[in-house]
Amino acid sequence: MSPRPVVVEPTLRVHALHALAYCERLFYLEEVEEVRVADAAIFAGRRLHARLEQEGERVEVEVSSEVLGLHGKVDAVRERAGTLVVHEHKRGRHASGEGGPEAWPGDRLQVGAYALLVEECFPGTEVECRVRYHQTETTVCFPLDEPLRQDVVAAVARARLLRASGMRPPVTTEERKCARCSLAPVCLPEEERIGSGAERPRLFPEDDVRQVLHVTTAGSRVGRASDELVVTPPEGEGEPVRLPVRTVSALVSHGAVQVSSQVLALCVERDVGVHWFTSGGRYLGGLGGGGGNVQRRLRQFEALRQEAVCLGLARRLVAAKLEGQLRFLLRASRGDVDAREVMGSAVRDLRALLPGCAEAASLDVLRGLEGAGAARYFGVLPYLLGDDVDPRLRFDGRNRRPPRDRFNAVLGFLYGLVHREVEAAIRSVGLDVAFGFFHQPRSSAGPLGLDVMEQFRVPLADMPLVASLNRRAWDAEADFEVTPEHVWLSKAGRAKAIELYERRMRETWKHNVLGYSLSYARLVELEVRLLEKEWTGTPGLFATFRLR
Amino acid sequence: MAEPRRWYLITYDIRDPKRWRKVYALLKGYGEWLQLSVFRCLLTDRDREQLRWELARRMDPVDTLLVIGLCGGCVERVRAINPGEDWPEEPPPFRVL
Repeated sequence: MSPRPVVVEPTLRVHALHALAYCERLFYLEEVEEVRVADAAIFAGRRLHARLEQEGERVEVEVSSEVLGLHGKVDAVRERAGTLVVHEHKRGRHASGEGGPEAWPGDRLQVGAYALLVEECFPGTEVECRVRYHQTETTVCFPLDEPLRQDVVAAVARARLLRASGMRPPVTTEERKCARCSLAPVCLPEEERIGSGAERPRLFPEDDVRQVLHVTTAGSRVGRASDELVVTPPEGEGEPVRLPVRTVSALVSHGAVQVSSQVLALCVERDVGVHWFTSGGRYLGGLGGGGGNVQRRLRQFEALRQEAVCLGLARRLVAAKLEGQLRFLLRASRGDVDAREVMGSAVRDLRALLPGCAEAASLDVLRGLEGAGAARYFGVLPYLLGDDVDPRLRFDGRNRRPPRDRFNAVLGFLYGLVHREVEAAIRSVGLDVAFGFFHQPRSSAGPLGLDVMEQFRVPLADMPLVASLNRRAWDAEADFEVTPEHVWLSKAGRAKAIELYERRMRETWKHNVLGYSLSYARLVELEVRLLEKEWTGTPGLFATFRLR
Repeated sequence: MAEPRRWYLITYDIRDPKRWRKVYALLKGYGEWLQLSVFRCLLTDRDREQLRWELARRMDPVDTLLVIGLCGGCVERVRAINPGEDWPEEPPPFRVL
């Protein structure tokens, strides 16, 4: 007999069946896209298993079967009067059925799968399942009967089908499941439901509670001592500062700062972003974000290769940018008759450009509209500065590389910080910055980062800068280094700009479409996630936020 | 909306220098070393469970661990008794060095 050709499909983790029974989308995100987020409950579960091991309770058995298409670790298998008993430990409560405690469907499926695997090793032996629920201290027993066998086989078939398909399953209809799901920040079930017309506002995504660490002193060294980051200033400029690595979300180095390779390794391991700016404030690039995410990238490439998709996104993006500029002008000149008069024609022109965005025939047309809008907007921006602002800080047209006046120096620096934020968000969502839909590929900056950034220039840089100038927060001498060709921020000025920006990022505002409050820091990441949804099922939410 | 955080006082007694060093290094990544075998950490529920799990992996049954959660009132009393110490409710979201 010639050997039959074998199609080897990788076996499935038994644990994945548990996820599958809970929510198909959770299964897909974890097993196919390999997005895993450990929350408090997961760590508590791991600790329970570690404790059981210490108490001599547990004999882990690894089992796998090509026939069943499964592999996994059984907590324990014991023999009792000729019957093999498969044990599984769960941290939580049992489900309540009609006749007393019952196992949850996911747990039943998981233990049933283990039982089938064990049975395959010892054919002909009777197998029984036991789930120990530690919170309620109850044990639920059930036999490996025919319905359970069928359930497991059906679940494996369903899992294989989902794994083979390229489409993400929809959000579960049982909302309460999402409240306790560790993947909710990635899956964004509420946003999808809002997209489909239902109204269920919720505070999401959550803010990162860790600090962003900016190192701006030239000559500083960042080193590692066990799990601490140690920032040592140049000799004679103070004591080293030590920060536990888990309290840091990103390390941003400005200019001549040494970051040791041990620190880089630690940051990559602990999911801390590392970003580099030149001392002049230009964003050079960064590290961070999850590895892989190949599924997401493939979908991104497929979607953005279609010209219609790019054009549609770019139309909305440019409309959002122009409307942002328009609304800022209206808002800043509210109640100010003189300013309104000066700005009248610019406001009218910007308004007139808006309808053109929705029907622009090509990206070039959109670039034209964007340019025309920017010219009008920057043309009147100087009138938003109060009369008592230092004349040296005034603004007369946008210039860069290098900035030639103080206003442009700060503005360019702030744009650099926004760019960093957007690129970090794109990386953490798992997309590729190098493939965008509106900007042309350029050497250093990734087009997707520049695309997404367009919506944030006004709210995150222009608005706080104009407000701070009107508060007279800047010192024209001490905060700048002026040479005939260019103007840079001094060390004090840079610290001021970072503070201005970071404070703005923590301000919360109510999203006009999603209807709940969130900080600008989260808004950036949310926009990237909404962008990804444009080609994974829930289009129509990207670039819809507007200033009030 | 950020995940809520609470102060924890963490003290341990480790019977073996090798394990002790591992636990000490681990805790350095979570919080601030106050005194011999005493740390303070500002943790979310998720951090706390992760820390306890990581500690469980490094410690032995003969070692002991005490994790004391401090409520807002407790932290205020700490401040009142040791006025020099700073136990911020919400540390600033960024640092410039």
